[in-house]
Amino acid sequence: MDKISRKIWIAIIAVATVILIALQYLALNEDHDHWYDKIPGFWSLFGFIGCWLIVVASKKLGKLFIQTEEKEDKYVD
Amino acid sequence: MSINFPPALIFILGSLLIPLIPGKLRSSLVITLAIGCIAYVANLTVGESLVYPFLNYDLIVMRVDKLSWIFGLIFSIVGLIGGVYGFHKEHAGEWVSALLYAGGALGVAFAGDFFTLLVFWELMAIASTILIFRGSFAQSQAAGLRYLYYHLLGGSLLLGGIILHMREGNSLAMEVLTDTSSLANWLILIGVMINAAIPPLHAWLPDSYPRASITGAVFLSAFTTKSSVYILLRLFPGWDVLIYLGVIMALYGVVYAVLANDIRGILAYHIISQVGYMVVGAGIGTEMAINGASAHAFSHILYKGVLFMGAGMVLHATARSKLTELGGLYKSMRLTFWLYMIGAFSISGFPLFNGFISKSMVVSAAGEAGHKGIYFLLLLASVGTFLHTGLKLPYFTWLGKANGPATTKRALPKNMYVGIFIGGSLCVFFGLAPQVLYNWLPYNTDFRPYNLYHLVESCQILLFTFIAFMLLRKKLAGENKGVVDTDFLYRRPAPAFQRVTVDSVNSFFGFAEKGFKKIVAGVATLGVNPLAYIPFSGEQKGEFNPDVSRPPLARGICVFILVFVALALWAF
Repeated sequence: MDKISRKIWIAIIAVATVILIALQYLALNEDHDHWYDKIPGFWSLFGFIGCWLIVVASKKLGKLFIQTEEKEDKYVD
Repeated sequence: MSINFPPALIFILGSLLIPLIPGKLRSSLVITLAIGCIAYVANLTVGESLVYPFLNYDLIVMRVDKLSWIFGLIFSIVGLIGGVYGFHKEHAGEWVSALLYAGGALGVAFAGDFFTLLVFWELMAIASTILIFRGSFAQSQAAGLRYLYYHLLGGSLLLGGIILHMREGNSLAMEVLTDTSSLANWLILIGVMINAAIPPLHAWLPDSYPRASITGAVFLSAFTTKSSVYILLRLFPGWDVLIYLGVIMALYGVVYAVLANDIRGILAYHIISQVGYMVVGAGIGTEMAINGASAHAFSHILYKGVLFMGAGMVLHATARSKLTELGGLYKSMRLTFWLYMIGAFSISGFPLFNGFISKSMVVSAAGEAGHKGIYFLLLLASVGTFLHTGLKLPYFTWLGKANGPATTKRALPKNMYVGIFIGGSLCVFFGLAPQVLYNWLPYNTDFRPYNLYHLVESCQILLFTFIAFMLLRKKLAGENKGVVDTDFLYRRPAPAFQRVTVDSVNSFFGFAEKGFKKIVAGVATLGVNPLAYIPFSGEQKGEFNPDVSRPPLARGICVFILVFVALALWAF
């Protein structure tokens, strides 16, 4: 992607983030009023850190013992 | 309804016709049967049942309640989608096994007693194996056999459990099992856990599904695990152990999907992950959780079908299925990409798609039942779902740098597009009109998925998973490596096991055979020329030349006379 569309992408994401964080406070109700609901962008952090954690932890586990050098089998159609 | 028979019979009897009709008509018959089956199931009324006396028992071959009905309906719909998607296929064996497999799943969904359950359970195991054998990978046959052994083990455990259950004085009818101290119940549970692919009993799934035939994988992704979820909901609601196993499943699949390289392998690990949500639902056992698990099974069958169809189309068109060989296919497979993405948005829980309206139900049920930790772990698993199925797989298949030719080798049959389109349309339909699905659920519900809190929560998670992916995507490129899963427990010792049970017996037989041959040969040699034993006869042992060694006639006459002389002397 070229530089201009990259800037547009970043702008769209930034605007969406701001809107979602603002809406987070409108969404509070008696069922959903936990301590974490009041942290700005809590679920954004959850998504970001969760994704990072999954990738890093899985790759680590893969290196430790899950991955083998064994090649997978061929499609012979 | 005046005519009453179990819906499974439509597929099972229909399968008998398949070999008798021309190849081109076979898929049309499958589609016709599936439409008939959908209509028949749709018209069944809750409370209907069908009992046949058999020996001393009353077999409930069909029992219709809301739980069995919703599973029966979705299993019939899969028959239709699979039939359309595989319309170009003419192979009789593949269609017969697909129909028997669908019939088995329907039979399980409507079975009212353990005996009927077991019969259909085994039918599913055997029929589905053929779909793996029909795969075009070098390992398809071996993986199919491993799959079959695993499921025969599961079936045997189920049978053992049922026999013990009867010996404990219980009836044959399938009722909720509550006694957690009964061995019978545990045997049944472990038998069902195998089919539900609950770790550590799951390795058969990622071993076999990626190697199955293209159409076969669509059926496989729908029936085996979901019919087991149905049995868990039917027999084991509220078993706490299932909550923990379910959440382990949900995350286990995610970790392995990071490492998987085969596109259908990634999807296979995500079946495990998604079924984890349903198993959690069964474990919680509240009305909302049972509803959520049923709804999620229904949604899952649709979107997972779409995903497997999309991946199958890539495999069909390019004859490649590994991320390390794919990439850059967007230009040549644009439509497939977007149809696949419907499934990807659905499984990731995007608002307006059917995963959103069902996954949220299970997750909320966990939260409402006070399992906060489970609630967060399930949301974490859903991050992984979007990461792999919604981002990694499509990115490295269609969008990213091409690791192989960016063109296709074969044109895709139009019916494949129609099949995936039907599945995708249903994903969107139920996403837009969740109430239709909610009205079919086992319990009445006033759950509203589209509330602001839930929308904000999902959108924030999805948006930032996307951002994290874009930053980390280099790390996520496929690696052409194998992965060690719990199947190493039987695949590694397999050669040693073969040495003990097969090779050692073989070599003993070989040794004995050789020994006996030697003895026989020795005895035969000794008997060739008995004259050699007479001293000074000049004959060689083991050699007999009739022209040389044949005794002269006079010798025979001489012996004859001597014998008579001896007899005469003895008589006097």
